[in-house]
Amino acid sequence: MVLAPIVSLSRAVTDALPRSIHALQHEIDERMLRIPTRLNAYGYDPWGFHPDSARRSMLITALLYHYWFRVETHGIDRIPRGRALLISNHAGQIALDAAMIVVACFFEAEPPRVVRGMGEYWLPTVPWLNELMVRTGSVVGTRKNAIDLLKNEEAVISFPEGIRGMNKLIWERYQLQEFGQGFMRLALETDTPIVPIAVVGSEEQAIAIANARPLAHLLGMPAFPVTITFPWLGLLGLLPFPVKYHIYFGQPMRFTGNPSDEDEVIGEKVEQVKARIATMLADGLAARRSLFW
Amino acid sequence: MARSPVEGPEQLFHFTPAARAAFPRTRRGAEPGEKLLITGIAGGLGRLIARRLGDYFRVAGVDRSPWEGFPPNVSMHVVDLRKRKFEDVFRIERPDALVHHAFVRHFRSDPRVRHEVNVLGTKRVLEYAIAYGVKRVVVLSSSYVYGALPDNPFYMNEDFPLNVSRTYPEVRDLAEVDTLATAFLWQHPEVTTAILRPVNTLGYYTNSAIRRYLSQRWVPTIMGFNPMWQFIHEEDVAEAVALALQSGTHGVFNVAGPGAVPLKVAIRETGGTAVPLPEPVARAVFGRLFRLGLYHTPPGAIDFLKYPCVLDGEAFQRAAGFTPLFSLEDTFASVRH
Repeated sequence: MVLAPIVSLSRAVTDALPRSIHALQHEIDERMLRIPTRLNAYGYDPWGFHPDSARRSMLITALLYHYWFRVETHGIDRIPRGRALLISNHAGQIALDAAMIVVACFFEAEPPRVVRGMGEYWLPTVPWLNELMVRTGSVVGTRKNAIDLLKNEEAVISFPEGIRGMNKLIWERYQLQEFGQGFMRLALETDTPIVPIAVVGSEEQAIAIANARPLAHLLGMPAFPVTITFPWLGLLGLLPFPVKYHIYFGQPMRFTGNPSDEDEVIGEKVEQVKARIATMLADGLAARRSLFW
Repeated sequence: MARSPVEGPEQLFHFTPAARAAFPRTRRGAEPGEKLLITGIAGGLGRLIARRLGDYFRVAGVDRSPWEGFPPNVSMHVVDLRKRKFEDVFRIERPDALVHHAFVRHFRSDPRVRHEVNVLGTKRVLEYAIAYGVKRVVVLSSSYVYGALPDNPFYMNEDFPLNVSRTYPEVRDLAEVDTLATAFLWQHPEVTTAILRPVNTLGYYTNSAIRRYLSQRWVPTIMGFNPMWQFIHEEDVAEAVALALQSGTHGVFNVAGPGAVPLKVAIRETGGTAVPLPEPVARAVFGRLFRLGLYHTPPGAIDFLKYPCVLDGEAFQRAAGFTPLFSLEDTFASVRH
């Protein structure tokens, strides 16, 4: 398979590390059997999600979750059964907050949920990465895909701040950027509850001091972050600090209305979600003892 | 890790049964004993449709190549649909219903012939259908008209644009055929017209491009890409045509099969071995081989090996009550080599 490098890498890791890793993989396998997603005779769901591939990459993210970021998850039982739209703040230069929310929903929720990500439009053109994205449950973030997934009672995650949030500089941490409105129109159209999520910790995992826009433009990337370690230490500089993550799941919010209302009407509802996440972030920050524990 | 599949037929949406009442059926379906003309009857799928409908309709067929041993209840005409004599078939048979399936889908012949048969041929067939009072028409288009693009959603529905010529100009005539037929559908509401876009069709009789691709011992794929593909058994396509005629379905419809799998699973299940090639190599090699006439598929097809072209078949399911009878396993087994 194309995922062979990941498979062999994770095999090498599992063989070298103590028994707890085996236990972790065992737990992943056991939970993977209980996800509510339906698979066809070849083990794929209609969007190409493949638990047999996902279990390996899940091990790597689970290791990050348990040992690197030592994530504490609060209020996971607030995710409703059936369709849900998870809306979170987004930060940290690399989208590990998304990965940590995915692991949280897989490890802490009952029954385990596979959160479906909405990928950027250029992701399908990248060799191997496109397949990894699809096999682990994500799809290209088109409206039709999101609607189909929600109608099929899946949990879909979206970051309305998008790249504006992810590539914030360090002194802008925990300041929510402008929210896009697509998620609200989607929620109204499919009558989906919105679960607000606040991730505390991710905003300090990389200390970005500048965004080299001309360089990003030259490389065709959405942003080129300059942190205190990247690009000075090469790829190693991308490694995030082992800050402690706290993920807060809020009470589901339900909205009703016309999904094709004007921007002002939709924007009002979006602001409610944004305000809720801002409050949750403030509470989370107030409750935090330290950056690292 | 073993996980047993869920029992029962695969369904995309398993949350609620489709509401049948949403599509009112104001049009009447075909009556038994009507005269049905099938163009392209000697092709694999044409034969299947003729056999499937032979007891219900009085079947007449036209093809430019003969059908050895055609069934006695079929009235067979061997004529090229570009020739003047083709009109005589309509004059003699006076069909009530028409299934248009006479297309050149391979690249072995002159591109001009391909265009004449597909585009001009379709135009003539539809003109004769009006001139000779045909009451119902089924045009067999294909799923390729949507094209394989990186930002395609999974499960494209019928109002998605026909993008194929953007990356695969060699088959733009298929998109033109579809557009011609759609224009006909709107211009002639008195004719009950169904335009069907079936996904990759496999089966014993069908000699489709996808069949030829999968029947190779070593199947070239693009390194780092493994898109989802949908398949449907040829008998199910014949069944879809029969249902469209008998239920009086009017509109443009995707005909989706039992499900989707990654391309490499399909290659494995049909008995081949995938040979991943770096994309620049594949483009250079297959482009040259095709120009020299040594390989049957133009390099534009490479995008179908990279990106998904996956259709939402829900509308036809609701309008005609269609569900595929053959599972993915059966479909692959029918062409295993």
